[in-house]
Amino acid sequence: MIRFEHVTKYFGERTVLDDVSLDIEPGETFVIVGFSGAGKSVTLKHIIRLLTPDLGRVYIGAEAISEATGRDLELLREQFGVLFQGGALLEWLSVGENVALPLRERTAMTDAEIERRVQEKLKLVNLEGVMDAHPSELSGGMRKRVGLARAIVMNPHIILYDEPTSGLDPVTSRAIDQLIERMRQELNVTSVVVTHDLFSALSIGGRIAMISDGRIIEMAKPADFIKSKNEVVKSFLDAQYITKRGVWERGNHETHE
Amino acid sequence: MVMITREPEFFPPPINRLGQFGRNVLLTCRNAGRALLMLGEALLDLRFMFSQRSRPEVLHQFYVTGIKSLGVISVVAIFTGMILALQTGLELRKFGQEVNIGVAVMVSMLREMGPFMTALILAASVGSAIAAELGTMVVSEEIAALEVMSIRPVRMLVMPRLAALMIMTPILTFYASMLGVIGGGIVGLTQLGVSIPAYMDNAVRYAENKDLYVGLFKAFVFGIMITIIACHQGFSTTEGAVGVGRATRQSVIISFLSILVVGYIITRLLYE
Repeated sequence: MIRFEHVTKYFGERTVLDDVSLDIEPGETFVIVGFSGAGKSVTLKHIIRLLTPDLGRVYIGAEAISEATGRDLELLREQFGVLFQGGALLEWLSVGENVALPLRERTAMTDAEIERRVQEKLKLVNLEGVMDAHPSELSGGMRKRVGLARAIVMNPHIILYDEPTSGLDPVTSRAIDQLIERMRQELNVTSVVVTHDLFSALSIGGRIAMISDGRIIEMAKPADFIKSKNEVVKSFLDAQYITKRGVWERGNHETHE
Repeated sequence: MVMITREPEFFPPPINRLGQFGRNVLLTCRNAGRALLMLGEALLDLRFMFSQRSRPEVLHQFYVTGIKSLGVISVVAIFTGMILALQTGLELRKFGQEVNIGVAVMVSMLREMGPFMTALILAASVGSAIAAELGTMVVSEEIAALEVMSIRPVRMLVMPRLAALMIMTPILTFYASMLGVIGGGIVGLTQLGVSIPAYMDNAVRYAENKDLYVGLFKAFVFGIMITIIACHQGFSTTEGAVGVGRATRQSVIISFLSILVVGYIITRLLYE
């Protein structure tokens, strides 16, 4: 379980997270949405301890990752796979080498075992036959899928997705959504997704939290989220042409003006 | 373990210029401390230099630092020797002492010009490339990705570059010094009427082993400095493409200044 206990974070005099508390259950797909600069990515970076709270604590299970250092932090981070916004692939390595990197650096697996695991994960993200290609030869969607393959190659318990569909066309975005759902079903992982793509959030989210000005202003299941009475949430829904009259309530993923 | 990915920093506006100066001094000291910590970790990581994981990257860095820098170093070295011989020779000719250009060129190249010139070329070519490469990796979150995967960027990225520069800089310095001596010999023969045997006899007879050792020691220190300054500047990159440009420029400027100052200090300490 991931737990935020009254987490506050300041960037200079600006409060980017303001007394945020939340629990993310094992196996859940938890989506964080919000306008640009609302504090979504800051929240995600606290989970993996790329940022440290000024007040409050972040727990992974019983361990406070917000206070872990050295070897303890390494062990906690081994539970995670992270898909960064641009994929964060190392440009001088091939696709296969990128995916194999954590295995080579962190395990004692043989070359044959590594190759088998890499092929298995690339197959899982529908990317076979690109082992020897370099990241510069790939499209944005393919880069994200390679990033996802690398994120799951160590069989993590938790996968964090930072804007997984940003910059992608609608068809590729939906393919990424399906992959996220597939990861949850086949690997039974806890997923935390940061996005401003509400269509994606409603498609994959078990629960959706909306952050505005560093505060969680709404947290609900998709069907309840679109019925929110909060004016900011309403404006966010309206901005993406998703209204309460939409067919989300009936479980059909279409948008309505 | 040195954490490379750092939280963004925000400072209140300084009260006055003295406050700004004080803050700059403190930040400079802190950055120097961070760079030294990174150097310490990278030096400890040198024990993995020949491990199966690190070997390909170490060899690649040796190639980039050594082989790819050979061309420019060769040209600069040979012309430096020629200029030294010509300038010195024209003055010495007034006293009929032009045969002494041998020792003048040899000592200048071994003690000062060889290490100094090689270090400047490496700082401008290899150092700037390191800063730009690592800066781009920071901006595109590749460094954060490594740290999240519990892969230490210092071992993976700094150590191979440190190994390459600390070993290749002395080798390139010796190579540059010898080319400079050859360049001086050519000028001596063609423009000052000093035969090659006389030039070489003069050069070898009066130059000391200490000149060679001091030059190589300087080059070794310069190699370490260039790597750590470039890596630290690259890792400190913020603000996207503009930040990468700033890190690259800073890396070259700080390296140049450090090479001059440290070069003087070493000379002062070893020749007093």
